[in-house]
Amino acid sequence: MKLIEALQIANARHEGRPFQVLLACGCTPLHLETFVKAHLSLALPARNVQLRTGLYGDLAGTLEGARQPCDAVLVVLEWGDLDPRLAWRSAGRVNEQVIADAQARLNRLAEGITALADTMPLGLSLPSLPLAPAFHTSSQELNRIESALWQMLYGFAASTRAVVLHPNHASLEGGHDLKTELRSGFPYSVAQADRLAAALARAVLPRAPKKGLITDLDETLWSGVLGDDGPEGVTWDLDHKTQFHALYQNLLNTLAEAGVLLAVASKNDAGLVDKALTRADLVVGRNHLFPIEAHWGPKAKSVERILEAWNVGADSVVFVDDNPLELEQVRTAFPTLECVEFHKDDAAWLRELGDSFAKREVRAEDKLRTASIRAGQAIRRAAADDASLDALLAGAEARVSFCWGKQPPDPRALELINKTNQFNLNGVRYTEADWMAYLAGAATQLAVVDYQDRFGKLGKIAVLAGRETAGRFELDVWVMSCRAFSRRIEHQCLRMLLARWESVLLRFEPTERNAPMQDFVAQMAAGSRTIGRAEFRRRCPPLYHQAESHQMECTGV
Amino acid sequence: MSESQEKLIRCFQAVFPDLNHGEVPRASVSSVAAWDSVATVRLAAAVEEEFGIQFEVDQIEKMTSFQGCLELLAGR
Repeated sequence: MKLIEALQIANARHEGRPFQVLLACGCTPLHLETFVKAHLSLALPARNVQLRTGLYGDLAGTLEGARQPCDAVLVVLEWGDLDPRLAWRSAGRVNEQVIADAQARLNRLAEGITALADTMPLGLSLPSLPLAPAFHTSSQELNRIESALWQMLYGFAASTRAVVLHPNHASLEGGHDLKTELRSGFPYSVAQADRLAAALARAVLPRAPKKGLITDLDETLWSGVLGDDGPEGVTWDLDHKTQFHALYQNLLNTLAEAGVLLAVASKNDAGLVDKALTRADLVVGRNHLFPIEAHWGPKAKSVERILEAWNVGADSVVFVDDNPLELEQVRTAFPTLECVEFHKDDAAWLRELGDSFAKREVRAEDKLRTASIRAGQAIRRAAADDASLDALLAGAEARVSFCWGKQPPDPRALELINKTNQFNLNGVRYTEADWMAYLAGAATQLAVVDYQDRFGKLGKIAVLAGRETAGRFELDVWVMSCRAFSRRIEHQCLRMLLARWESVLLRFEPTERNAPMQDFVAQMAAGSRTIGRAEFRRRCPPLYHQAESHQMECTGV
Repeated sequence: MSESQEKLIRCFQAVFPDLNHGEVPRASVSSVAAWDSVATVRLAAAVEEEFGIQFEVDQIEKMTSFQGCLELLAGR
C-alpha cells in the first residue's frame, strides 16, 4: 500500500463500533501508525479503528500502563528497547555488559506482554532493523553479543502467548531509514512500515484459512503426461529434476494432516490415474485424496461434484492447475473459487499456497475431516429419501454430547463460528476480543456439541450461545459444520435447549450463504422466530441419537 | 493545472484531509492549523513516494507551503 492511500484510508470517517488498538513501540509511531490504522480499517470495514500509542523511548512503560481494555495490542520491539546503546540514535559504547542489561529489560517487557496477551489478542514483532555498528567484528558475522541477544528473544518468542511475527518476514531489504530515524525518531522506510503494519494487523485479525484444495495431476501433482509417459513414467524426484512436484505433494500431505480437504480434478484415463496413485513412492498419501475426478469431461463439472461431496462453498477452495485455459473455465463457472496456476520451481509460490491454508493450531476435528466426509457420503445419499435416511440413522448408533460452560473458553467454538457459512444462525463474526466480551456477560451460556456414530467421530461440530431471559433462551449464535448435515443433529440441538427452557427465541437473520439454516428455520419455526415445546414436538422428525448434556469443569479464569 | 500540481494536491489532501481542492494551492504552515513537524515528515514522505524522489534534510525544512513545495519539485 502506498503512503498516500494509507493516509486516505486512515483519515476517512469510519462509522461503526470502535475497535480499540494499542500500538506499543519505543519509536515515534509516524507512518507505522498510519499504515496500522489503514490495514485494520480495511480488514474491519464495519468498525471504527481507534489507535493509542505510548511515550517515545518507553515501551515497557506503555505496556505496563495499558490498563484500559482494548480489542488488540500491537507491540513493535527494536534493539533500542532492549538497550539504548544498541540503537542508532544513541552512539553509546557496547560491551558484554549489554547482554545482562538487555535481559533485564526484556524480562520487564515480557511481563507486560504476558499480562496483556492473557486477555486480548497481541501481535509482536521482534527487531527487524540492523544493530547500530558498535562491534569490532565484521557485520557479515554474527558476533557473540548479537547471538546472545537473539537467543534471549527467541527464548521469549517460544514461550509467549503473543503471536510473534517471523523476523525474516518482518524485515525488508532497505527497510531502515537512518535519515528519518535521526531526524524524527522513526526508523522505518515507508515500504517497511507498510509491511510491518500489514503483518501485525494480520497477526491479530488472521484471514479465514481455505478449507480445500483441488489439484490437477499432469505437470502439477507430477511431472509428465500420464497418457504419454504411463503410470511409471511420470516423475517427482531429484534424478529427473522434478523434485518440485515432490515438494508440492509433501505440502499437500501437511495440509491434509491439518484438516484441509484434498481432491483431484484431471482430464485423464481413470485406470491410469488409479495405477499412478498406487505407486509406492507417491509422496502424497493416496487416502488424503477424495474425491478423485479423473475422466475426459469438463473440469468445471468435476469441481462442481467435488464441492458437492465436500459440502463447502467455492470461496473456501483453491484449484491448482498448470493449464491457464482450464483455470479460466473453472473461474468462469465458480467466480469466487481461487484458481491458481502451478508455478514449477518457484519457492515463493509454494510458500504462498501453503499460507492460504495457514492455521495456528491443528485440532482433533481437523484430523477427522476427510474420513468423516467419506463416511458422510452414504448419509448424504440417503438424505434424498426419508425412509432410507430413517433406516440409516436408526442404525447409526449416534451419540450427541452437549458440553455447557464458557470458562475457559473452548477455542474451537470461535473457530467454528468464524468459518461456518451455511448452517449459521445470522452470519455474525466475532473478533477474539468481541467473543471474550460476549462470553463475559453474566447471562451468557455456551454449549459446544460433539458427535460420533458408527461411521466415525465428527468431533466438535456445533456451537450454541445465548442468554436466558424470563424462562426462555435467546439464541444469539448457532453454527454447525457442514460435515454434520443430514444427521438431524440440529433437531437434537433444539430438543436439548427445549429440555432446559420453555421456548427458544432465534436471533435469526438470513444471509447470502445460510440457506440450510433458512430452510431449517422455515421447517421448525414456520415464519416465527420463537419455537416452543409443543410446536417442536409436532414438527420434529424422529431422532435416534443418544444425547447427553454435561457442565464443563471450570479450571480457573 | 499541470500533472505535477495535481499530484502534489493529492499529497496535501492525504496529509491534510480537511483542505478542499481549491484551498490547497494557498496552504502554508501559517494557514493550516494541522501543519506541525509530524505533518511535514508525512508530507515529505508522501511526496517522495508519489514523485519517486528523495529530499535532503534541509529541503524538507523548506517545505512550509504548497508553493514552496512546488518550487522545490521544479528545482529538481
